[in-house]
Amino acid sequence: MKKAYLGVDIGSISTKGVILDEDNNILASKYIWTEGNPIGAVKNLIGELEQQIDTSKIKIVSIGTTGSARKLIGVVLNASVVKNEITAHAIGTTSIYPDVRTIFEIGGQDSKIILIEDGIVVDYAMNTLCAAGTGSFLSSQAKRLGLEVEEFGELALKSKKPTNIAARCTVFAESDLVHKAQIGHKKEDIVAGLCKAVVTNYLNNVGKGKKIMAPIVFQGGVSKNVGVIKSFEDITGQKVLVDPNSHLMGAIGVAILARKSGQEIEFDFNIANIEFKTKGVECHKCANNCEIICIYRGKYLIDAWGNKCDNGAIPIKNH
Amino acid sequence: MKVGIARAFLYYKYGHLWETFFKELGIDVVISPETNKETLKNGTKYSIDESCLSSKIYMGHIYYLIDKCDYIFVPRIATLQNNNMVCTKFHAAYDLVNNTFKDKNIKLLDYNVDYRKNQTEFLAFLNMGKKLKKKKFEIVRAYYLAKQAEKKVQGVALLEQEQILKTKGKLKILIVAHPYNVYDKYIGEPILKYLEELDCVPIIADVAPKAEAIKKSKEISPTLPWLYNKELLGTIELFKKDIDGVILMTSFPCGPDSLVNEIILRRFKDKPIINLILDEQEGTAGRETRIESFIDIIKLKKDDVNGKEKN
Repeated sequence: MKKAYLGVDIGSISTKGVILDEDNNILASKYIWTEGNPIGAVKNLIGELEQQIDTSKIKIVSIGTTGSARKLIGVVLNASVVKNEITAHAIGTTSIYPDVRTIFEIGGQDSKIILIEDGIVVDYAMNTLCAAGTGSFLSSQAKRLGLEVEEFGELALKSKKPTNIAARCTVFAESDLVHKAQIGHKKEDIVAGLCKAVVTNYLNNVGKGKKIMAPIVFQGGVSKNVGVIKSFEDITGQKVLVDPNSHLMGAIGVAILARKSGQEIEFDFNIANIEFKTKGVECHKCANNCEIICIYRGKYLIDAWGNKCDNGAIPIKNH
Repeated sequence: MKVGIARAFLYYKYGHLWETFFKELGIDVVISPETNKETLKNGTKYSIDESCLSSKIYMGHIYYLIDKCDYIFVPRIATLQNNNMVCTKFHAAYDLVNNTFKDKNIKLLDYNVDYRKNQTEFLAFLNMGKKLKKKKFEIVRAYYLAKQAEKKVQGVALLEQEQILKTKGKLKILIVAHPYNVYDKYIGEPILKYLEELDCVPIIADVAPKAEAIKKSKEISPTLPWLYNKELLGTIELFKKDIDGVILMTSFPCGPDSLVNEIILRRFKDKPIINLILDEQEGTAGRETRIESFIDIIKLKKDDVNGKEKN
């Protein structure tokens, strides 16, 4: 039996999973949509991953989860490591690009920059409250222009003169975009302008005051957009690397962390057939009325959270 | 007679002073309870959208006090000693409350501090005491005792802070935030708790030797107008040797902080630093990701320095 490690990165838009062996080689990987149902997505993911490996020869001994639903999925999968995306991405990326100095990441709802020296994260920044200039901004603008997000990047490359679009705020960008279209700017120029706007917005907000050093690795869903890659290269004057597995970096990172944790657990692919349910209950013990999320495996309560104080704590029995 | 004080804003700076003053005059004090969801909901209802989160919470506390006391104590602080300014919210609070709750028949107790117009703290208390029909010597005595009480509490807090700064073996994170944000049960405390869960020691920047801090702040910015921000800014310099990282915690959209935090982020390069913005959103995932990853990075760096295995 060969030992293997499962990493699951479960974001707001997509769910990514990898199985690594002890030398960080990818044995199986899968990328699916979360569709607002993280537990369902993970069950599908596990099913898909199982088909890619020979379960009689490979045994999953440790699991890590990351992404915005990491806590929930960590409980469902009985993960050894539950880690935030920034750490997971940094570890995943440095395992493939050991000399990387800068990681740009633009996801569905957030964007971040991670600065690395000698394989150690030395600084990072993340967008604050506003989602302007992230993947959801691009996809909503694509919809407005009657385009699929997937064709966005290719179309941007055709432009010779990108339109200037104010992308500081999604609301203003949208009205600016409509105005530019109405006065006759070409669609490809507008699309290229949007890609450029995403990049300037990113560098001015998230990358503000940070020293951007090559090699640069670009990841997150938006890294699949060639228009944005080109804008990054034009503006930074540096080559921007995009790994074909860039979407898996978080999952790879957290699988490595699971291996390093040294904690081994029993894992059964049969998880797809077990019923997991979540139930929201309002705690009426004080004016906060916290909504407490209870997680059930079959009929057993396995975890609960969401209470602001101990009054709302729900005791968990071991089954 | 009963006087109501909102457990928000400057209560966290001057609460002991105010409470002792009223008590020494034989006046009962009602303090609104800790902030909860209801407080914020009511506060939001009685505020304009653009108000900061802390100011909305303040209005929520005032709303609670209506009909529960004879007077509501709403200080107006315009300028402090040595030409020091404060956020306009503290200047405007009295009029804001007065106008917002005009139809609720509230009686406000005014307390006016404006050093530029020679309206000192002492005179503010004196005028307030007269309105409460107290004799001058009673007022002076109460003020003196209140100042004593304030000094004592601050002294004890400072001694404790010195001990906390000496903590060994845990990461010490300086929380640079106005006391009404960091001590607030609803918005600040969950963050302190979360840091403790991550095995860190949160250090509140508001507890510091203020005079020294103000002096130090001039090294970073000699022209900053707001007193409370100067204190916080200088504290970062004062404590920097004893801490591992800095969290700038701001309520959205705080005017003074938006400028001062920019200055700090650009000029303070000695320790890792992040900016955390508190708003009305209830989800905690984004906030926890930011804090957890920040702590991870500090830990990774430390491990590297100590020559442990790199991740």
